[in-house]
Amino acid sequence: MALSTHTTTTGFLLPSIHSQAAFFTQQVHPGSLLTQTDAWITLILKYARHRRLFTIRVEDCEAPGNEWHEVLRNERINRKLLPSYLSYILNRMVSDKVAAYEPPKQDRSVLIYWRLPEEWAEILHEWVTSTGNLNTIMTFYEITDPPIETQLSGLPLPLLRQAIVILSKTNRAQIIAIAEGEGVRFFQSTGKT
Amino acid sequence: MALQRFTNSVDGTIPIQALIYNDEELFTSQDGVGIYDGSQKSPEHQSGTVHVTNQRLFYIDASKSARKSFSLSLAHVSKTEHYSGLFTSSAKVTLYLESQSQSQSQSEEGGWECEVCAYRNPPGKSLSAARICGLCGVPRSLSSVPTPTLTPKQNNSSSTSIDNPLFPISSASSALPVSSIACPACTFLNHPSMRTCEMCSTELPRLATRPATPSAGPGPRMDNNEDNSNSMIKLSFRKGGDKPFYVALKRCLKGRAWDSVPGSMSPSSAADGVRLAGILHTVESTAQSQTTHMSSALQDLDALMVKARDMVALAADLNQRLTSSTSASASASSPALISSSTAESEPEEATFIRSSLSQLGLQMENAPVTLDMMKDERRWVEELAKELAGILQSQSQSQRGLMSTRPILSLDEVWGGWNRARGVALLPPSTLLQVLPHLPAYTDPPIHMRTLSSGLMVLHTPEYGREAFAERVKGLLTGTGRGKGGGVMSTTEIARYLQGMTIGLVLEMMSVVEGDGEVCRDDARSVIDERREGEAELGGMVVLGEVKWAVNVFRGWVWDGEA
Repeated sequence: MALSTHTTTTGFLLPSIHSQAAFFTQQVHPGSLLTQTDAWITLILKYARHRRLFTIRVEDCEAPGNEWHEVLRNERINRKLLPSYLSYILNRMVSDKVAAYEPPKQDRSVLIYWRLPEEWAEILHEWVTSTGNLNTIMTFYEITDPPIETQLSGLPLPLLRQAIVILSKTNRAQIIAIAEGEGVRFFQSTGKT
Repeated sequence: MALQRFTNSVDGTIPIQALIYNDEELFTSQDGVGIYDGSQKSPEHQSGTVHVTNQRLFYIDASKSARKSFSLSLAHVSKTEHYSGLFTSSAKVTLYLESQSQSQSQSEEGGWECEVCAYRNPPGKSLSAARICGLCGVPRSLSSVPTPTLTPKQNNSSSTSIDNPLFPISSASSALPVSSIACPACTFLNHPSMRTCEMCSTELPRLATRPATPSAGPGPRMDNNEDNSNSMIKLSFRKGGDKPFYVALKRCLKGRAWDSVPGSMSPSSAADGVRLAGILHTVESTAQSQTTHMSSALQDLDALMVKARDMVALAADLNQRLTSSTSASASASSPALISSSTAESEPEEATFIRSSLSQLGLQMENAPVTLDMMKDERRWVEELAKELAGILQSQSQSQRGLMSTRPILSLDEVWGGWNRARGVALLPPSTLLQVLPHLPAYTDPPIHMRTLSSGLMVLHTPEYGREAFAERVKGLLTGTGRGKGGGVMSTTEIARYLQGMTIGLVLEMMSVVEGDGEVCRDDARSVIDERREGEAELGGMVVLGEVKWAVNVFRGWVWDGEA
């Protein structure tokens, strides 16, 4: 079968190696395995950004019809990723710090950092500044589900919390306990970071 | 006289072992014995050997053994006396004889036929044993017939009479009409010596003129009117040995072997209750004795193994002594420059002893391998390598070499094939391993050995070497004309393309190629729909659940998907 890229129905350009049957089997040779796993991690990160997906679970490769369907299965060559190998890939992602187990202390599901928490922190601060919400107390819900869709829409709370923690370390944010739960107040950047 | 009445003469030139019956047992023998018939010396029997069995007493005369020897059944002995001798009178044993059970003693020398199982009991049994059928254990009935034998006289008469060759007996009866016996059942005229009808085995009526048969008419042959002194004999022991003889004789008499049935049968069942149970019992006791023999043999083996340990210890001791002596002689000879011949001869002997020890499998670990041994062994191994090369690569039409059709062989096949070709002087696997490094020098193309990932060792021609095989597999996988497979082949398919290799061997080889990163695998478990997979393989052999191989697609691959 010719090696060729493929565009999915959601407009994602799959790499040519996705059409290789061997791509779906965990390789034994260490060199091959490294290349293969790197390709998988890149593919997952890129697809997650494409679809704005924040989590992937080991179970996603087993049941068809979820949002990872296009990547973890290839109906054209009749292959699917095995859970054992996906589990291995997720482990690699966590140790490469491009993902984190969420919830913690298990290894079946990860939060994907297709943007690193530091990047999210910068985006969050820029957004708050541009919308003139500095020095006001905002709830998490106001950030992740604003009336007008932003880059931060649908951001999972753990990721948001991490971004705020990063900001608070440079004194640009402060978590405040409010009546409905938690709130956050953003400050003007001191310029020094 | 007692001697005449009670004894039967035997041919003393026959060894005593041949004279006794099958179930008879020889207890003791004594030479230098003279016989007294009654109270008088019997002049005929003054120097001979006396043997006592559990049934009979034999006297074998020293000078004229053929004529003067006799046997005496112990059944006649009623009483014994021992006289230890005085001055010139030698020790004597007196046997008082009684003429009882005469009828039994008269029983036929020939065989007889059992009326229950029709087994023809052979002659050569003692009197008591002859009373019972040797096959079924049924006592002999009075009516059972001795195996009939026709006298040659009868045959002659039939040949002279009017010839009716089909019925010689009837013609014989016509020649002797008076004495013929008509069978009451079939009216066949039997010869007067017959006791049963020759045609239908019906018992014949006895002729009045005929003397009573021994079995029919028991009773003493002679009148028992002689005085006591006549029915006794004395054994005079001129050379001593009377006491052990007398003890043995008493024991024989006490045993009364002539009354009991032979074998392992109990006296109570001796009369009639033996039959099948007796046979089974015999089989059982035979098996038991075999077990006993076996266990004693195994004990011997154990003892041998204990001795073997001693031998190993001895060999170790010998070896150590040799080592010390050679080192001593070497140190002594080198500075003094003694004649070199003695200095060299000693290590040679030592080498010989050591190599003998090692051939016995008793080589010690601390024994240094000398150059002589090395030379011998190397030559031997090289010869073996030549032989093995011939077996592997023989080009003759009649006997193709093992590897002429199959370029790769596992070592077990090689070893088996080699030993089969040798037939004798089989070699252990360790020797095969020793020979293998020498093999490439004698083979063309050179045959090498390689060890696969599982530890399996194979012999292969150059094209099955590590790199060469990987290249071949790559060529096979990328080869054109593979159709829909698209450069993916299962192990089975590869095995089909590479002739003469088993699937297991291909799997081993492929895992080596994979370890080199030349191919990558496609596990059947990652297939979504097995039925569709089967369709994709139409025309080829479909083995579901098998690992497939492809050329390594990851090598040198760069990301070409979504930016």
